[in-house]
Amino acid sequence: MKKTHIIGIIIIAISIGVIFGSINDSSTYSNFTESSKNEQAEFHIVGYLNKEKPQVYEPQKNPDLFQFYMYDKDSVERKVVLHKSKPQDFDRSEQIVIIGKSKKNEFHADQILMKCPSKYDNGSPKFQSPEELEKERTANS
Amino acid sequence: MKYIGEHLFVGQLGNFFVVTSFCFALLAMLSYFYASRNEDKTWKKLANVSFIGHTASVFGIVAVLFYMLMNQYFEYYYVWQHSSKALPLRYIFSCFWEGQEGSFLLWTFWHTVLGSIIIWRNGKLTTSVMAIFSSVQVFLSSMLLGVYILEYKVGSNPFTVLLRDHPEFVNLPLFKSADYLLHLDGRGLNPLLQNYWMTIHPPTLFLGFASTLVPFAYALAGLWKKRYNEWIKPAMPWTLFSVMILGTGILMGGAWAYEALSFGGFWAWDPVENASLVPWLTLVGGMHLMLIQEKKGGVSFTMFGLVLISFILILYSTFLTRSGILGDSSVHAFTDLGMSGQLLLYLLSYIFIAIVALVVNYKSLPRNKKEEDLWTREFWMFTGSLVLFISSFQILISTSIPVINKIFGSALAPPSDAISHYNSWQIPFVILVLLFMSFSQFLKYKKSAFKSFSKAILRSLIAAVVISGIIGFLLKMTNPFELFLLFTGSFAVLGNLDYWLSILKGKFRHAGSSISHIGFGVMMIGALISMSQQKNISNNTSSFDVEQLGDEFENKENILLMENDTLSMDDYYVSYRGKEEEGVNVYFLVEYMKRLPNGDFESVFTLKPRVQTNPRMGNVAEPDTRHFLDKDIYTHVTWAILEEDKKDEEEYGEPEVKNVKVGDTLYLKQSIVILDSVRRILPVDIKQVELQESDIAVEAKLTAWDFNTKKHTLRPLFIVKDTSEIYGLPDGIEDIGLKVSFNNINPKDGSIELTFNQKNVSRDFIVMQAIVFPYINLLWLGCFIMIIGTIIAIYSRVKFGK
Repeated sequence: MKKTHIIGIIIIAISIGVIFGSINDSSTYSNFTESSKNEQAEFHIVGYLNKEKPQVYEPQKNPDLFQFYMYDKDSVERKVVLHKSKPQDFDRSEQIVIIGKSKKNEFHADQILMKCPSKYDNGSPKFQSPEELEKERTANS
Repeated sequence: MKYIGEHLFVGQLGNFFVVTSFCFALLAMLSYFYASRNEDKTWKKLANVSFIGHTASVFGIVAVLFYMLMNQYFEYYYVWQHSSKALPLRYIFSCFWEGQEGSFLLWTFWHTVLGSIIIWRNGKLTTSVMAIFSSVQVFLSSMLLGVYILEYKVGSNPFTVLLRDHPEFVNLPLFKSADYLLHLDGRGLNPLLQNYWMTIHPPTLFLGFASTLVPFAYALAGLWKKRYNEWIKPAMPWTLFSVMILGTGILMGGAWAYEALSFGGFWAWDPVENASLVPWLTLVGGMHLMLIQEKKGGVSFTMFGLVLISFILILYSTFLTRSGILGDSSVHAFTDLGMSGQLLLYLLSYIFIAIVALVVNYKSLPRNKKEEDLWTREFWMFTGSLVLFISSFQILISTSIPVINKIFGSALAPPSDAISHYNSWQIPFVILVLLFMSFSQFLKYKKSAFKSFSKAILRSLIAAVVISGIIGFLLKMTNPFELFLLFTGSFAVLGNLDYWLSILKGKFRHAGSSISHIGFGVMMIGALISMSQQKNISNNTSSFDVEQLGDEFENKENILLMENDTLSMDDYYVSYRGKEEEGVNVYFLVEYMKRLPNGDFESVFTLKPRVQTNPRMGNVAEPDTRHFLDKDIYTHVTWAILEEDKKDEEEYGEPEVKNVKVGDTLYLKQSIVILDSVRRILPVDIKQVELQESDIAVEAKLTAWDFNTKKHTLRPLFIVKDTSEIYGLPDGIEDIGLKVSFNNINPKDGSIELTFNQKNVSRDFIVMQAIVFPYINLLWLGCFIMIIGTIIAIYSRVKFGK
């Protein structure tokens, strides 16, 4: 057997390892109901903020603790305990992805991703009427 | 209605250029194709003229778009969408490439520049190369057309007028008046792009993207014309250039992330970063294989594969970032602008062309019949290139999880801890690459005697063991992988240095590869040390504050800093000194101090992390970093109160009664108070009330120290009037929100009863994170050396044809 063949076989073996390794390391997108069934496993949950319910952030007590209520895509609501500081601009988020584990009736997340679509979207934002613009101009000057 | 003040001519001019650029590209492609097939001079002349026409048109589009942005013609959708009246002129470049049209235009622009240079140099395969070049230009310039063909929208035109081409705007009340332009302001630029890195990073990266087309076109031309080896020589300097510029673009992205984003590091394995790293890795592999093929041959299939796939991976990465498919998984994912179908067609076409070219030529590719020797330079270069390929494959697979989901309908999420996922795969690959690059140069092409080779590398091997041992010991590194990486990094640096100095005698013209390898080694050592030894110092607080934080304080990366409080962090004392507003920016002043032997604090430096406020697109926080030679201190405000003033709501809370003796110290909300003395004073000295000589007045003297260690004195009085009427005369100091009343004297133990009224303060504060990155300058130094090395290699190639 040629050396190149041996190398070829090794390469193929590593490639297969890579594919399985990546799948193994990957987590799953899921919902609160599923995550409650398996409190050991880590889940990514996509959903949106419940703006009616209070958000608790008391940096004086613990700057790495933020609590809020969130709906998942099946509209199941859950209290989320984020072990991080409250993201700046949190209230503007339209979609949230949290990463973490269920603990009893709460979801403990250690990572959060937010989508504020306005940053990259193409949609038509509000136009200001001449009066509004005038008002803004006088307010600024 | 006749609208006043619109500038419709420039738009028409722009559209004219869009159409001519597309037509010329098409004409150039066809005529280059005929010229190449028939070796025909007339066709070639026509083709060259067309390509120059195409180039001129693209320059025209660019100029028109700039002109419109400069003059703020908000009647145009692109200008309206990406800029605004208030935007400083220096960000005009960022406006240009914020949109998809602009960034594709930038890409097209670089292609025309590169293509023109190829025409001007006019080498052997020029017509075939330019035929491929022009075909790419047909795709790219069609993306600016913005016309409908059989109900499919082809391209997105940057010169559309709000009022005419965007029916959704027509009914807005604003447009009912003929002078609407007077009232129209643009939407403004994304605050993330209002940053100087964003004016230099995209053009560099896009030049990198564009430059991969050259080796691709040459390789494809080589297959097409069955010149399996001849294409390498003209393509080589271009490939080196591409490696250099794409690498620089990627690193600039890292620098931007480090300086301006809150990644907390220069590389976070973000999908968008990965997408441009993957083609760089394959191209570096391909470039090494081109060297082997040129010297000795025998690797043509792998070489063609890697060179071709690099360009295809560039297209794939554009598809990933621009089609919106990354959606949830990246911080800077772009949304779909309706071009993904066209992008996919573009990508699939070139995959198809590349595969066909490889399959058709597979049988006739030149091969070496002899078995490869183990101790040859080409063997280890080849193996190293394959490691690079595998490494890029791993990144590609993990980054493509959203695509896998789309194809197979699965619900896989990217690895939660991306950094450790990628590191655990990539560190072994890097170790192998460093190891191969440290000794391969000492081997000769074809064959070397193992004995003389092992003698030659012994010196640098021993030096590397010693040096990495010392560094590892000094930095207290224990992880065996990291130590091994440190060793291979040092070995790569020393081996290449030794080779260059002792075997190449330090000659400049051969220095390219050695110096680039040294740079890569230094860069990896810098990355290793700054990443593995990075220290989050914002959790190391003084004992006083840890008590307050409660027992849930586990995931400590942020810290609360009250205005003017001083906390100890690592070697520093840190204090938040308030905020400054400057236009849209709010700067938070974070002062780092040292303690002098006499107990005073001395300011060392002040960092100003900022938040850029943007009511329309959201606020963006930007860290600030202090650079030292041996470390960086990164400071990021993760949370802060931006709205000023809830201070008038401050009120005095419930009074507290305390029995205090002389000399006692009390810790209050805003001060530390000591009872200095209690003494009787003469009634005549009291001015507040009128007293008889027989009345009794007792004064308690208290000293209050506020958090700026300023001293205040309070003198509440205890009065017995007419032997029966007892009352206190309180004293207070507004600045520290404290009122003290003197109620009673307890003769038994000599204490006095005081009532403290304290304000419920809402002092300003920030939640911040501070990280020390040690020796991160090694990383930048390594990048710099690597770029210099590649430039030397390009220079030698062009100048000496070596």
